[in-house]
Amino acid sequence: MYRKILAVFSLLSVMLYSGFTFGGSHNWDEVLAEAKKEGKVNWFQWYLVDALAEFIKPFEEEYGIDVVITQGKHTVNIDKAVAEMGRSKGDIDVLSLGFDKIPDLNMPGMFIKLSDELPKDSRTTNLAGVDAKDYAYAWWGNQSGFAYDPEKVDESKLPQTPEEIAQFWEANPGKFGFNYENGGSGPSFFQNILRVMGSADFTSGESSPEKISKLKPGIDYFNKYADKYIITAGNADSIQRISDKEIWMAPAWEDHLAGLQKRGEVRKEIKMYIPSMGMNGGGNGVAIPKNAPNPHAALVFANWLLSAETQTGFNRDFGAAPLHPEADDSSALISNSQRAYRQNWASNPFSKDLTDHFIEEVMMNR
Amino acid sequence: MKALNYLKIIALLLPGFGLILFFLGMILYVAIFQSFGLFNLSGEDNFTLQYWEKLFNRKVFYRSVNYSLYVGVISSIISVALAYPIALWLRKPFYGSIIINSILKAPLLVHGLVAAFLFVNLVAYHGIINQIFIFIGLWDEPIRMQNDKNAIGVLILQVWKNLPFALLILLGSIQSIGDDVIDAARDLGANSFARLKKIIAPLTISSMQAALIIIFIGALADFSFQSIAGPTNKYSLSQLMLYYKNNGRWHEAAGVGVTIMIISFLGAIFISYLTKFIFFGRKINEFK
Repeated sequence: MYRKILAVFSLLSVMLYSGFTFGGSHNWDEVLAEAKKEGKVNWFQWYLVDALAEFIKPFEEEYGIDVVITQGKHTVNIDKAVAEMGRSKGDIDVLSLGFDKIPDLNMPGMFIKLSDELPKDSRTTNLAGVDAKDYAYAWWGNQSGFAYDPEKVDESKLPQTPEEIAQFWEANPGKFGFNYENGGSGPSFFQNILRVMGSADFTSGESSPEKISKLKPGIDYFNKYADKYIITAGNADSIQRISDKEIWMAPAWEDHLAGLQKRGEVRKEIKMYIPSMGMNGGGNGVAIPKNAPNPHAALVFANWLLSAETQTGFNRDFGAAPLHPEADDSSALISNSQRAYRQNWASNPFSKDLTDHFIEEVMMNR
Repeated sequence: MKALNYLKIIALLLPGFGLILFFLGMILYVAIFQSFGLFNLSGEDNFTLQYWEKLFNRKVFYRSVNYSLYVGVISSIISVALAYPIALWLRKPFYGSIIINSILKAPLLVHGLVAAFLFVNLVAYHGIINQIFIFIGLWDEPIRMQNDKNAIGVLILQVWKNLPFALLILLGSIQSIGDDVIDAARDLGANSFARLKKIIAPLTISSMQAALIIIFIGALADFSFQSIAGPTNKYSLSQLMLYYKNNGRWHEAAGVGVTIMIISFLGAIFISYLTKFIFFGRKINEFK
């Protein structure tokens, strides 16, 4: 009798569990069948929306699943996911999010563990110093570097170190620009200058006034040459000003520049390199909320985004750095030899304190 | 019976005024308490002054307050100052005045973001203005005007956008002044400036205050013009609020939001008293 009650209780528990939480099905064929029944996936993605809508058409044709891409902003999409945490069924099936946002989120509380649900394959869950612990996988790789106008800049003397950059500024005042808001290319630049010139430990996210004070050599460097460089309004503005021949060099993202060039929005002659002092690499991840309305379709779509074939396509069509080892990266703007200069973003809270300090001590002195 | 009448009035006001009061009250309530560490979106609520302390210890906060005040004050004064002569000109209908009036109000239909992007196209390094001046030989090479340090671009955009609004408010008020009053002032020897200062401005002071206050609050909280055409070494208060919010620092963002509300509130009171003082001086109590 006792065993029977235990068996019934166990069965009920399993039924209840499967009724309230998604997952548990490791049979990919069943996931595919369910996904086709759902027939739709809501992808909350914040950039290149129109171009990606074209890019995903082969997926829609192959699987018979419609992908609806929203037009929301990055932070707004994340805020929505946070706000919807308490709902039994949300609106988001697949959420794109920058890896830098992951440490601020309750990943186990919000998202399903993708390693439990997706077929085994090479996935990247640790990117740019952030470990998403399989709650998100990187689907879009990007690398910051210096975009430059080869008509104006001597390619044999591209500045590699803070000293050489200062020489470039002295020789060409007002021809180098960077942003400190509206995009991470400028922040990647000043973070690396502060790292190289100062003695603060960038591998740890720990922050203290003593550690911040170690950034002083870099802060002095920016203040010393304040009238030699300009501040742009954002990532896009930096590239636009190079294309417009107003400035000759600026930090930029590889995928951003490649995308603008492919769409004919900036000059194709603009080139890019990573200086040997290092520039940050980063990427965007994909995560599936626990309350996704079409969870099976979301899994199938995420699996497709992360595949070697799709990653090759991202490199070919958008210049994104592939995140699958079997993907082809021959369309990249940056040579493979320079990828060794890739640096990780400083972790929070140090990264936030560093940015605050830079704005306070450099930008507010301008 | 009296109580019943009061209840009736309250019941009639509730659907409109009650909703406004409720939603406004909720926003104020959440923003104020969030700035003190409550309504924490990513952790435990904890009443604290640390977020205000952090704001008060930062140069960027004071610079944002100063900058937003600068844009708010200058934009509202210039908009209203320019709207007065135009409204006086359009006071009496004349052939073509309706078309002129409509054209002057056109900026109200153009969204601020669109206007800001168009303006940037004009003043960009290789924009139309630089090209024209180089073509006519006034300049040898392009001048960098985009995102100027003194926010002249933002002020131009603010005035362009708000002047029609000020005109809309002032025109009706100026048109309601009878010819008899103006003629009487003229007969008593008042010149154009005296008529404006002693007759027209005092009689339209309510509209002037409304225009000044509304434009001041809008320009103080500007985001779109500032983020596209504004100086890159300054944050407007709205921009600063978004900077904190985008970094997940909701409490500091709420602190900046509360600052905007306080400055708007105090600014409205100040404008109201200042305009009365300017035009009525010591007779301010008589005006009341």
